Amino acid sequence: MISTRILTRRRQGAAGAQHVPAPVRRRRRTRGFVQVASMAAADRLHLNAFGHAYLGLGAVVICVLFYLALAAQITQASYDIARLQDQQRQLVAEQDQLQYQEVTRHAPAEVQRAAAQSGMDRTTPTKFVVPQPVAINLQAPIGAAPTDSTPLWQRMVAAVVDRVVGAHDVMAATR
Amino acid sequence: MAAGAFGIKPPRRLERATSARLRIFTMVVVALLLSTVVWTRLAYWQVLRHGQLAQQAAAQYREVVELPAIRGAIFDRHLTQLVVNTTVYSAFVSPDQVPVAQRHQVATALSSVLGVNQNAVMETLASGSKFAYILRRFSKEKADQLRAMKLQGVGLEEEQQRSYLPGISSTSTLAANLLGFVTYDGQGQYGIEAQYQKSLAGTPGYISSYRDLANREIVLGSHTHQDPVQGSDLVTSLDANIQYAAEQALANGVKKARAESGSVLIMDPKTGGIVAWADYPSYSANNFNRTPTAMFKDNVLSYVYEPGSVMKVVTLSGAMDAGAIKPNTVIDDPGALYIGGYRISDWDGRNHGKITYTYVLEHSLNVGAMKAMQAEGHKKFYGYLQSFGLTRPSGIDVAGENSVAPPSASTMADSQYATTAFGQGIDVNMVQMLSAINVVANGGKYAPPHVVERIGNRINPVMLQPQRQVISAKTAKQMTAMMQAVVQYGSGWTARVHGFENDQTGKTGTSQIPIKGKYTQNVWASYVGFLPADHPRFTMIVVIRKPNVPGADQDWTLNDGYFTAAPVWQKIAQAMVVSWHITPDRK
Repeated sequence: MISTRILTRRRQGAAGAQHVPAPVRRRRRTRGFVQVASMAAADRLHLNAFGHAYLGLGAVVICVLFYLALAAQITQASYDIARLQDQQRQLVAEQDQLQYQEVTRHAPAEVQRAAAQSGMDRTTPTKFVVPQPVAINLQAPIGAAPTDSTPLWQRMVAAVVDRVVGAHDVMAATR
Repeated sequence: MAAGAFGIKPPRRLERATSARLRIFTMVVVALLLSTVVWTRLAYWQVLRHGQLAQQAAAQYREVVELPAIRGAIFDRHLTQLVVNTTVYSAFVSPDQVPVAQRHQVATALSSVLGVNQNAVMETLASGSKFAYILRRFSKEKADQLRAMKLQGVGLEEEQQRSYLPGISSTSTLAANLLGFVTYDGQGQYGIEAQYQKSLAGTPGYISSYRDLANREIVLGSHTHQDPVQGSDLVTSLDANIQYAAEQALANGVKKARAESGSVLIMDPKTGGIVAWADYPSYSANNFNRTPTAMFKDNVLSYVYEPGSVMKVVTLSGAMDAGAIKPNTVIDDPGALYIGGYRISDWDGRNHGKITYTYVLEHSLNVGAMKAMQAEGHKKFYGYLQSFGLTRPSGIDVAGENSVAPPSASTMADSQYATTAFGQGIDVNMVQMLSAINVVANGGKYAPPHVVERIGNRINPVMLQPQRQVISAKTAKQMTAMMQAVVQYGSGWTARVHGFENDQTGKTGTSQIPIKGKYTQNVWASYVGFLPADHPRFTMIVVIRKPNVPGADQDWTLNDGYFTAAPVWQKIAQAMVVSWHITPDRK
């Protein structure tokens, strides 16, 4: 016997079936470049499973070789850097030593030693030149110009020569 | 009553259940105990020892390389380098890496290049230890020779060293007592090297990186890099040529006077900058590790002495500035005075009669100095001692200053005031005394003494401070004239520089050395002066300690400053006149 209660339940069940939620869409996984490339290669080359394995292994080997080459290059570069650093340290040490030699060469002790060797030893002067008092009386009044004491014949000759060759300013001529 | 006693046995099922519970309980207890032990141990390693283990782990894969800061150089006023950083090398061996067959060859090579004992090297190689130094801190030439040999198990280590300029002999370097030196671990000791340690040393940097098992750097790992802050260069007021001349003249003077030691200090009157700072005997800062520690002492700054009659310049200047006396004030000098229960006499004990204060200074008379102090009064006298900088350290920028402050004004006895007036019973160092005398040369102003003028690009702040006026310019001029008279007519005649006889100032000083409260016949002889008188270019003090001039046992005045210190002053002044092209102002 089917009770009303059971019927109600069945109805509800049928009605509930109508409201089944839509199936969840699965997101398609996007194919990577490698996957696409390998599939394309496999399609063209008609590779079987072993072919796939060899292909993969080859890729791995190439990667390992690339890594090794890179590591070798880096190691070589680090050796070069270490060698150059050592060289730089030695050059700096040499520079320091040269600087000390240069400074020492100009040191008073070295200068005196070199001077003494070449006979240029400085001795204490025993006497200084004492300046003599100057006999000029700046307070004296300015008098008349002194008379020309040049002999007459010399003045005559000078006048003639000046007229012939022209007068010369002695101070200007020395310039 | 027990159940068994009645022949009743407990049910077997119950017995089994009890036994099983007991076993479970025991196992739980054991398990708990074991886990407790394990947890405790884990807690010990992970909590208590975490720091140490983390450090050990970091030490295995992390490498921190220190980038040392280059120590700053020291220059003189003409930018002549006084100290140079050089690289030296240390050779070490790893004996366990030297094959037995090669030991002899390695030992021979090391011995021939480094000059070390071959047998000692053989012993080191045979010891089988991991590491041993063969020779430390040798030159690059030897290191290059050793490097070229490519000896197995032998290595070279670079180290930095400070190299100082040669001095007057092979056993001394220039200005050794002033500059000090730097230890192998980079610490400045004594003098400027110690005083300016922080500025000179700079701050080291570092590179922190990660290493793999084979100790190779992981290039793509994280790196931390901190550049070092290089040490600052110092430019001093020294003149290397004058310093050398001073050391030479001082050495000759000390030897001639058969003295214990001597010192010279020269100052620029306008700025207070030190031009030369010489000690004899001195030492080689390049060989500080083979020098007795006592030699490192700098007598200019750390040796306090009683200045003697040089002090009269301060006493009379103060009294004149206070208006108590004038250079031509006439006093009566009976040859001795009774003060505080003591009879204090002149050096010659003679009655000098009516004399002026200029005469007092010329002939260095104690009675005159005491009378000037009395005319001025104790309070003012003490005030001038303070103004002239004789009651506190000079504060000069050199490590190791030693000074003895006099008692306070109220506790000083009358007799001590009297003796202080002519320079006994008061202790000063040479920097204090020269700075005080320099007040007269500097028109009455106190120029703070200093050695360093520039630290890197900065000017020493001391130089930017205003100079304080101690006495008036008029008093300074009067005292200058009185000090000129000392050279022309008094005890300073042995310091006369040719051509400057009328244009130089000076004052001699001789004070007996007290031992256990009693004055002995040993003296400190000194001479101070500046030149030219009106426009001074330098102020200089020379101190000779415990001179023992031949014949001094008959005539004790032969040990006086005029005979021992003044000639040294004269020789150095002569060198300065020539080197600095100084000309006299008057004839």
